[in-house]
Formats: sequence, C-alpha cells, structure tokens
Amino acid sequence: MKPFTYVVPQSLAEACEASQKPNTLLKGAGIDLIDRMKERLQTPEQIVNLLPLKDELAGVAVEANGELRIGALTTLTQLEQHQALAAPAFDGLRLATGMTATPQVRNRATVAGNILQFTRCWYVRSEAFHCLHGGRGPTCLAMTGENRYHSVLGWSDCVRVHPSNLAPPLLALDAEYSTRLGDKVRRRKFSELFPADPRAQNPEHTLEAGEIVTAIHVPAQPAGTRSAYCESREKLTFDWATTACAVRLVLAGGVITAANLVLGAVAPVPLPREKASALLVGQKPSAALFAKVAEMAYAGASPLAHNDYKLTIGKAIVRQALDEAVR
Amino acid sequence: MTVPPDRGVSRRSFLKGSAVAGIATTGITAAAHATAPSKPASFGPGEHEIVLLVNGKERKVKVETRTTLLDAVRDGLDLTGAKKICDRGACGGCTMLLDGETITSCLTLAMDAVGHELQTVESLSDGDKVHPLVQNFVHCDAMQCGFCTPGMVMSSLACLQKRGKPTDAQMRHDLSGNLCRCGTYGRVMEAIQRTAVGGGK
Ligand SMILES: Cc1cc2nc3c(=O)[nH]c(=O)nc-3n(C[C@H](O)[C@H](O)[C@H](O)COP(=O)(O)OP(=O)(O)OC[C@H]3O[C@@H](n4cnc5c(N)ncnc54)[C@H](O)[C@@H]3O)c2cc1C
Ligand code: FES
Ligand code: FES
Repeated sequence: MKPFTYVVPQSLAEACEASQKPNTLLKGAGIDLIDRMKERLQTPEQIVNLLPLKDELAGVAVEANGELRIGALTTLTQLEQHQALAAPAFDGLRLATGMTATPQVRNRATVAGNILQFTRCWYVRSEAFHCLHGGRGPTCLAMTGENRYHSVLGWSDCVRVHPSNLAPPLLALDAEYSTRLGDKVRRRKFSELFPADPRAQNPEHTLEAGEIVTAIHVPAQPAGTRSAYCESREKLTFDWATTACAVRLVLAGGVITAANLVLGAVAPVPLPREKASALLVGQKPSAALFAKVAEMAYAGASPLAHNDYKLTIGKAIVRQALDEAVR
Repeated sequence: MTVPPDRGVSRRSFLKGSAVAGIATTGITAAAHATAPSKPASFGPGEHEIVLLVNGKERKVKVETRTTLLDAVRDGLDLTGAKKICDRGACGGCTMLLDGETITSCLTLAMDAVGHELQTVESLSDGDKVHPLVQNFVHCDAMQCGFCTPGMVMSSLACLQKRGKPTDAQMRHDLSGNLCRCGTYGRVMEAIQRTAVGGGK
C-alpha cells in the first residue's frame, strides 16, 4: 500500500467536505478497498474513513410507511440478523447476505461497500496484466484468456462480472438509495446505481467522486410477496458466486400477480430480466413455467470459451430460486 | 491473564464508540491535537502513535495509516499468535475478535481498531495456564501443522461465547471462515464441544 492521509470525520457533513478533495477515496470496512490498495490498483492520497459515522449511518429501521431503511454502514451480519428481514418477502435478501464471504468478512463489511465493490476479474485486479478495463492495455484479456468466471450476458468490450451478493435481491425488491454529495441529498432508483453501458473503463457505479451512499430503502411489500436468492459457486464458503438469481413474486389466490427476476455474477452489472419476469405474471407456478422462464432469463447469452457451463447451471439456479420462492 | 467473557454473554457492540471517541478518550495522537477541533482529525501519511486496547490492556504502538491491524499487532506489539497467510481475507489465519466478533485483521486498518476492544489468541494463556478451549485443542489433537490454529481457536471462542452449546451446524457456520489445509475441522469441533460441556478445566 502507498502511504495516504487518513481522515476521521465526526459528522456526515465533515465527511462530505473532506471527500471533495481530489484523489480521495471513501472507506467502509475496507475489505475490498484495502485489497485493491495492497495490489496498488488504488493509490489515493487521502482516505475518508466512514466507520465513525456508524451512529448516523448504520442500522435497520422500519419507517412509518412500512419502508425498510438500511443504513449504508450496516454490517452484513447486522443486516442478516435483523428481525425486520425475517418476513418471507425478504428471504432473498437475508439469504444472499448470509451466504456472502465468511463470518469474519460479514462482521465487518458494510452494505454500501458490498454493493460498490470492484469486480473480481483476475486480470483487472492484478497490476501485472495489461488489461483494458484497468486502463493498462488495449484489450480485455479475459475475452480470449482464462474466462470461466466471466460474463455470459450484457457484455461488449469487457467481460468482467459484477460480484455483489446484495445487489440482485435489492434490485428485485425495487429498492432505492440515498446519497449525499456536498450539500446535495439525492434519492434514486437502485437500477440507476449501475451504468447503462458497462463498457471497459466506465466506472462500476454511477456515483460521482466523493458522493456518499447514506442508506438503502426497500419499499413495503404487498401481502403475498415471496422472495428467494440462489447461487452456484465452487466452494461452500469463502467464494463469490459463479451464477446467481434473485426473485420476488407476489402471489394472490395461487396466481403470480407480479414478478422481478434479477441475475447476478453473469454480466458486468446485476441484470434485471424483464422478459423472463413478464412470463411469470398471470400464471400459476409450475415446473414447466419455471423451465420456460429459466430459458428466457438466459436468452441471448453469448458465453465465452470456458464459461458456457454458466448457462446450464444458471438456468438450474433460476428454477431453484423460483421453486423456493413459491414453496 | 485476560479472562474471556462468559459463555453466552455477547460482547457485540455494533454501534459502540467510534474511532473518534477512542482517540478523544485516549488522547494519544499528536496529529489529533494539531488539528483544529472543528476540522475532522487527520493522520499520516507518516508514522504516529496510537493506543490499542488489546486483551484488556492499553498498548501504545507506532503505525502508519496504511498499517494493517495484523501488522501492528504482530510487528508492533510482538503478539505473533495471529498468522499472516493470505493477507487478503481469504483464509482466516489472522482472525482476532474486535468487540467480541471475529474479524480478518489483515484487511482491517490498525487505525480502525482504535477505541475498540481487541482480543487475540495470546489472551488465552498465562504462562503454563491456558484457557479450557486451548486445553481441549491439545486434548482432541485438533491441529496438525498448527498454522491455522490461532485463527481456528479465535473463531471457536467466538462460537462458544455466542452459542453456549453450539450444534454441529452452528459450529460449521462459525468456522466457515477458517481454512485448514491439514483438515482438522472434525477435531476442532470436538474441542469446542468438549469446552461447551466444561471439559479441559
Ligand atoms: C474471502 C472473501 C470472500 C468474499 N465473498 C463474497 C461473496 O460471496 N459475495 C459478495 O458479494 N462479496 C464477497 N466478498 C466481498 C466483500 O463482501 C466486500 O469486499 C465487502 O462487502 C466490501 O464492504 P466494505 O465495507 O469493506 O467496503 P470497502 O472496501 O470499504 O469499500 C468498497 C468500495 O465502496 C466504496 N464505498 C464504501 N462505502 C461507501 C459509501 N457509503 N458511499 C460511497 N462509496 C462507498 C469504497 O470507496 C470502495 O470503492 C468477499 C470478500 C472476501 C475477502
Ligand atoms: S491472513 Fe488474513 S484472512 Fe488470510
Ligand atoms: S493444522 Fe495445518 S492448516 Fe490447520
């Protein structure tokens, strides 16, 4: 790690001011950031430590309108164990959180940091590789190289995947996020957090420099809402997903009246699959329906030399998530 | 010897004192005094002294802002129980308890631990006297090369503190952040169980 100045703000306002300085990075627990700094992928002059703002920015609360407010600095352990997440509507989010990394990581990692973590592509995460997304070379090395953990959908000039466990279930729940940039407070749809065109060298998220995520908001879910999250991976623990699927369904009288299906770990951004979701609406759950939906979720996929297994496993994971949601 | 908290008593304190509070109460950092009170405290990039609350004692240690907690404890305080194996959060060899919860100290900045209670594996022995959990690791032969063991012990301790008498599934869950290339998991679970029922005293 290169030396840096470490700022301990005493309020959000102070953090906002300090983060305006050029070449400054924000730090949650630092699990992703310190890793990248050790690799010298990031060499900031200044780090603003957000952890002292936990009194303001950590914790889960149910608002008067039933909305869930998740503080940006809430740890994954806190989120998983919060009683507000015990409702079936939040099964997907709770399970995705509990499956992340290891107990040690979940005890520290913040919700915002999980969502904003950098891709795990082994080329871009190693300074030694002259890759396009890292701004170190002319091409995406994974496209023709070792790409078994890379994208099968939604890629153009770079095949990295978005690694966050929390992003797919939050998208499926129609979440929103609040930020603060200087004096400006903004609240936007969760889908706006990710770039519409995730090309190489485009940032992984749409936040401006120094913009601080303060909270995630999950709207109150209608009666009959069910959700699920399933993922495939190579190890039972310690591992990022190879494919993931988050679903949210509303069931009324045995019929699905609303559906959101989101794929994770298969594209450069967490990927809502509207057409697959639309197939579910107005239907009764059945194995045949779910198989059709799984096909649609991966329609248009372009796998690489070493990752077409993601289509087979990914579709099975979609069916499993749907089965679990209606069980 | 620092007496570990009783089983079942949770020391978890998520919203406890921030680093700021820690710095303010211990008042140890020249840089903190040098900055005007209305401005956020800022440290580094050079070396400075912080106070860490390690195994119940306040310990001064010189760090840079980029020093990890693992390096501060091993190199600065000469507590070399916790091991640096992957240095990337991917093995659990550096596991310590911060405010009673397991963490990977290799991906935690030393500065971030100021004002929090840190417990390392050294807290479990005092000369020849060892904590029952450690005694049970020996009794159950729960190590082979021993490299993962300090981290395993700390995750086992957290498991016992949180659960009292953990089930198999709970032990698997709580040990799922510690890799052992020698495959001692089964015996580690026996050592935990033996401790839970009062063995090794
Ligand atoms: C062994 C291992 C296995 C893992 N497995 C998984 C897995 O299966 N699934 C998964 O999802 N993750 C996994 N992870 C990644 C881990 O979950 C993330 O690194 C962690 O959640 C990041 O949170 P943090 O608070 O440490 O973020 P930091 O490292 O502090 O920050 C990450 C990024 O977000 C920015 N940031 C943080 N907070 C804010 C904020 N409030 N506002 C604006 N920007 C902010 C930072 O500037 C930085 O760029 C794993 C990690 C390890 C070490
Ligand atoms: S050395 Fe910290 S987890 Fe491996
Ligand atoms: S005893 Fe050798 S790694 Fe665990």
